[in-house]
Amino acid sequence: MSTATIALLGQPNSGKSTLFNALTGLRQHVGNWPGKTVEKKEGTFTYGGTTYSVADLPGSYSMSANSDEEVITRDFIASGKADVVCILADSSQLERSLFMLADYAGLNAPCFLVLNMEDVAKEQGKKIDAKAIEKKLGIPVMMFSATDTKAYDKFYSTLERAIKEKPQINTSSLEKGYEKLNGYCEIKSQLDSNTPSGYTPMWLTAKVLENDKVVSAKLKNTLPDNKVKLIENLSNGNDGAIALGECKFAWIDEILNGAVSKTKTKAKLGKLDRIYTHRIWGKPSVVLTVVLGLLASFIPALPIMGIGMGINALNAPIREAMTSAGSPAFLTGIVCDVVIASLYFIINMLGFVFGVTLVFGLLEEVGVMARISYVFDNTMGKLGLQGKSVMPFLVSFGCTMGGAAGARVIDNWGQKVLTIALAWAVPCGAAWSIVPMLSTVFFGAGAPLIITAILIVMILHMWITAKIFSRGLVKEEDRYGMIMELPPYHKPKWGALFRYVLGRTKDTFFRVTKVVLIVCGIFWLLSFSSGSIEDSALYKFGVAIEPVTKIFGLTWPLFLAFIASSIGKEGAIGVISALFTGGSIFAATTGAAEKAANINEILLANVTRPEALAFIFAITFNMPCLVALAATYQEIHSVKWTAKIAAYYTLTALVLAFAAYRIGLVIF
Amino acid sequence: MNELLGLLNDGNSRTIEQLAAELHTSPEDISRQLEYLENIGMIRKVSTTEKKSCGGKCGGCSGAECRGCMPKNASANMGKVWEVVR
Repeated sequence: MSTATIALLGQPNSGKSTLFNALTGLRQHVGNWPGKTVEKKEGTFTYGGTTYSVADLPGSYSMSANSDEEVITRDFIASGKADVVCILADSSQLERSLFMLADYAGLNAPCFLVLNMEDVAKEQGKKIDAKAIEKKLGIPVMMFSATDTKAYDKFYSTLERAIKEKPQINTSSLEKGYEKLNGYCEIKSQLDSNTPSGYTPMWLTAKVLENDKVVSAKLKNTLPDNKVKLIENLSNGNDGAIALGECKFAWIDEILNGAVSKTKTKAKLGKLDRIYTHRIWGKPSVVLTVVLGLLASFIPALPIMGIGMGINALNAPIREAMTSAGSPAFLTGIVCDVVIASLYFIINMLGFVFGVTLVFGLLEEVGVMARISYVFDNTMGKLGLQGKSVMPFLVSFGCTMGGAAGARVIDNWGQKVLTIALAWAVPCGAAWSIVPMLSTVFFGAGAPLIITAILIVMILHMWITAKIFSRGLVKEEDRYGMIMELPPYHKPKWGALFRYVLGRTKDTFFRVTKVVLIVCGIFWLLSFSSGSIEDSALYKFGVAIEPVTKIFGLTWPLFLAFIASSIGKEGAIGVISALFTGGSIFAATTGAAEKAANINEILLANVTRPEALAFIFAITFNMPCLVALAATYQEIHSVKWTAKIAAYYTLTALVLAFAAYRIGLVIF
Repeated sequence: MNELLGLLNDGNSRTIEQLAAELHTSPEDISRQLEYLENIGMIRKVSTTEKKSCGGKCGGCSGAECRGCMPKNASANMGKVWEVVR
């Protein structure tokens, strides 16, 4: 019985492993290539009286020395251990997958070409004339589908033919292209004799021009010093890799010309993409999408808010029951004012977390979010930022800390600082859960207008902040473009989406509950007084600072909630819950708690609409939270800039509160 | 490919389809050029799915994946993004 060795060569996802498994079945051995951690797969099969050893070479893009896999692959082929090399290419994308063949051309080992995934190409409506390609290449070429077990007879016969004929790729046309490159002919003339075995001078010359360091080292060991020096001089100072790549692609196009129908499709954008990428309508349509998305998030939030209302409805009967049972006022206060009131706010907030996450998760699932990032990218680019700054901004809609951490991918320090500074202006998930809730309480059906106003202010804020901070931080020449491959629109995977949304809502619930209960508890304790409320430390402090806080439209409890929001937006909810619903302070000062039947009415009775507007803008654009501050320092390593950003946001939040209050006074 | 790199250096971002239209070629041709430029190290892919670990400091996460700051499976369908290596 005769034996033969075949090597399977192909780019990742070319179907190499499917072919290897189908050929060898259980007769496989998996190990490592000597001295490397790259997996080595070998196996055997018998056909037509011949036992074949199969080496499944590591999947690699090309035959260059960019990775261990590529070096192992070409060393194995050049070693002559394989009687024939089976090169696999993906029929559905021959323009790119034939690059491996183009890079192989010039190696001595006999080979044949398998155009795999024939079925996928047929589905795309592509017609491939394998015979025409075979004629141009001078090696056996076959259409194939590795997953089709009936197609293997054709494979075996092509393999037998290749082993018998020992064909090599006709490289004359490819080399004609190479010969036009600076230095090619001169370098090749130095390599025409004494080249390392397994390689042709043409292949080696191409690699020298590509600045392949492994090939250069091989040549140093083989050639005399004067030739090495001459080759080095000839190869220096040209963009060899790009020029050679173009030669190879031109050769591939030449091979496919007339052999494949529909190889080129005219660049065409979908209807929706034409709007999103439109010079004039792109930005408004993206802003409209975001606004509509935020408004739509109210719908799934409503049922959860209903649960919150239900919990709130328990407050009065429980208080009554505890009082009639003789429970101490302190304990009743803890249960009703801290626990139940906090839960009401938390559940309401979770409704919006659920809604916002669901709607924006859906937008991302279907592919709209990528379009939004694309449009924002160009807008932000005009501020001198790198294109990838858009990623931290988008992440900041969820969490500013994530946005600050995401800025790590920006290598220019100044742009990184500016990106983080601007990311702070993007209201985070916690803000998006509190603001709609407060807007609904105070402005009812006008809440969407408040959300829209916040988005407009966010954009203006980012623009002004960029103008202020960019001086000295970024230079225009630091900005360069990006390429984006927009994902296709597709139907959402509802199961995965809901698992993600519920997971995020659950995470938020546990995180927020801790913060709100602690902050609410502390402020409630500070405001609790068994005697006159005027004796409590918090009341005294609050009344003392109120003349100043009033300038910004914030009563002292709102101002304390604003300060607490610097620790975490959830903290504001804790303060509101303790001070406005606890009743102790307001019962003493306004008597509202006694008159009002529920928390919403208490809030409406104690906070005017202009004050509420001022408060909403103050907490939305305040410093996001302490962890965002820490993450900012961690990324930019500058106390000065971290403090500058924090001070800037505290100040601008108060300025915005002042403006919102004045506008509110005019409107309401 | 030099034309492609030239376009990328003008500071604007483009989709593959826009590049194809500007360079009078097909999106497939642009895609293979990008793949090649990435392999020779002239452009690099920007991660849109990278999970950042905050070491548990954000209060909502533990272990290697930061669920509090970067939601699990976030940016899963954000397409691909490349930038020029300088």
